[in-house]
Amino acid sequence: MAKNKLRKTFMEPLGKNNPVFVQILGICSTLAVTNKLQNTLVMTLGVMFTTALSSWTISLLRNHIPSRIRMMVETMVIATFVIIVDIVLKAFYPDMWKQLGPYVGLIITNCIVMGRVEAFALQNKPMLSLVDGLASGLGYAYVLLAIAFVRELLGTGSLWGYRILGSWWTNWSIMIMPPGGFFVLAILIWIIRETIMKEAKHA
Amino acid sequence: MSTQKVFYRERIYPLLFMFLTTFFCILLTAGIHLATQDKALANELSFTRKAILDAGGVEYENTTEGIELAYKKSVKEAEGYFTTSGTSGTRYIIPLEGPGLWGTISIMAGFQEDLSTFTGIAIVSQNETPGLGARIEEPWFTAQFKGKQAPFTLVEEGTAATSSEVDAITGATRTSEYFRNLSNQAADAAKRIIRGE
Amino acid sequence: MHESLMPFAVFFASIFTGNILLTNYLGTCSFLSVSKEMKTSVGLGIAVIFVMATTTPLNWLVYEYLLIPFGLEYLRFIVFIIVIAAFVQLTEMTIERYSEPLYQSLGIFLPLITVNCAILGVSLFMVIREYTFFTSFLFGLGSGIGWFVAIIAMAGIRVKLKNAKVPPALEGPGITLIIAGFMAMAFMGFSGMIAVS
Repeated sequence: MAKNKLRKTFMEPLGKNNPVFVQILGICSTLAVTNKLQNTLVMTLGVMFTTALSSWTISLLRNHIPSRIRMMVETMVIATFVIIVDIVLKAFYPDMWKQLGPYVGLIITNCIVMGRVEAFALQNKPMLSLVDGLASGLGYAYVLLAIAFVRELLGTGSLWGYRILGSWWTNWSIMIMPPGGFFVLAILIWIIRETIMKEAKHA
Repeated sequence: MSTQKVFYRERIYPLLFMFLTTFFCILLTAGIHLATQDKALANELSFTRKAILDAGGVEYENTTEGIELAYKKSVKEAEGYFTTSGTSGTRYIIPLEGPGLWGTISIMAGFQEDLSTFTGIAIVSQNETPGLGARIEEPWFTAQFKGKQAPFTLVEEGTAATSSEVDAITGATRTSEYFRNLSNQAADAAKRIIRGE
Repeated sequence: MHESLMPFAVFFASIFTGNILLTNYLGTCSFLSVSKEMKTSVGLGIAVIFVMATTTPLNWLVYEYLLIPFGLEYLRFIVFIIVIAAFVQLTEMTIERYSEPLYQSLGIFLPLITVNCAILGVSLFMVIREYTFFTSFLFGLGSGIGWFVAIIAMAGIRVKLKNAKVPPALEGPGITLIIAGFMAMAFMGFSGMIAVS
């Protein structure tokens, strides 16, 4: 019984309740770095870490938090984990830290983290909240990695810095520039919603 | 008695809770910060040294130890600049700063003894747009200046032909122009710093 | 010489070529949902200008005189968010007390703004780019105006869109993002405005 709930909690954010293309949340902080696959991976790992641990911590405290200061406490906890991500990056991956700039700090305002904390962690047990946070982060991650895949491949002919397409390929510069991010995300939402809608029609 | 309890619950408890949470959060972050502080500082130093080595065209192993080794072995520090010995005489490396689109671009510019021919340019810090202007940090961009002399003119990415042309970065015209200005001024700055001209 | 021009170059750049929304993707969430209606867009936009223009220099002061002297730069994320939240709360209470019409048209948007990534983002950019106090004010003001221009334009376009045949899967966020992409392209055209000598 509990195992089923665990499984359901894990699977939902990956598909049915995906934070990005269903709830359209949390685009801000990561879309800017989706022009490189490597940066996107680091950012989404940061979001996963923050969402999972914030949900877990708030869930632990959920019966003790006074309702007046609820948002402040949540923000404080989320900010703490984001700072930890920032400090660890600065110390162990300085090149990556320089490239990501302020976007790591913006994980704090990423609606997904706060969203899951408010919608799930406050009403559920710690372990379950941890799984939900992790899954939401994962659901977020694969969508953004897909965007980054398209943007980096079409925009620079390489993936993860390694040249994939030969010299016959003319780089679609628009892909690494800001408009590219908007377009790829829009097309991705379109494709996914088309397929989901078609499934709903058949069902 | 009960108003006291209410007072506690409504005023004191939230304050206490907030204080405790803040305390633990700051404790955690401060702890991790202190634990990694030295490493972060070492990284910064290593990064600056790497830029000096790159500008001077010195070979090194791309690890913290490799950089430190190469730096200690080959680079001499002087009043406002650095020197290293190359195959064709002494090389001079100066730090230089100039405006970029969003903030300051900070570079290390390395020259041959004539203080005009570049041995390399390395970027220490820049604040340009990620994915666009920030691409000045990509190796191919700064490598263009090696062995050339100012003044430089910018051309469309991929079309540089003569030795005074350098590829701009597509979509980052402003940043490319600021960088070109910086590289054009570098030789004069070097002469000023090293020879007092 | 470049130091005196930079604040105004930053001001113009933050509205057009480095638009906080169309170039840096910040503040997209509320942008997508609120731009449905012109009236709410105007209200939110003005609120954003106000909060950005005030919290950015405010955070500058806090960073310069509180965080740096005590070596607490790494806590800036927490501190900035607290400053923003506190300031917004204060403003909301003041407006509610002194002007009911202003509150109805502006004040109700203020809580939405605290979690708007753009506000925090502008402060964080300001720190990274090491702006002066005056420049940070212009940067905050310009970014706010840029966000305002973007959301107004989007709202205007979406009004026209009501009569267009949009594929069902693209309705809502899909088509809005595509329009945003075109707007981003259009704004990139402004980069010719700022001439670099």
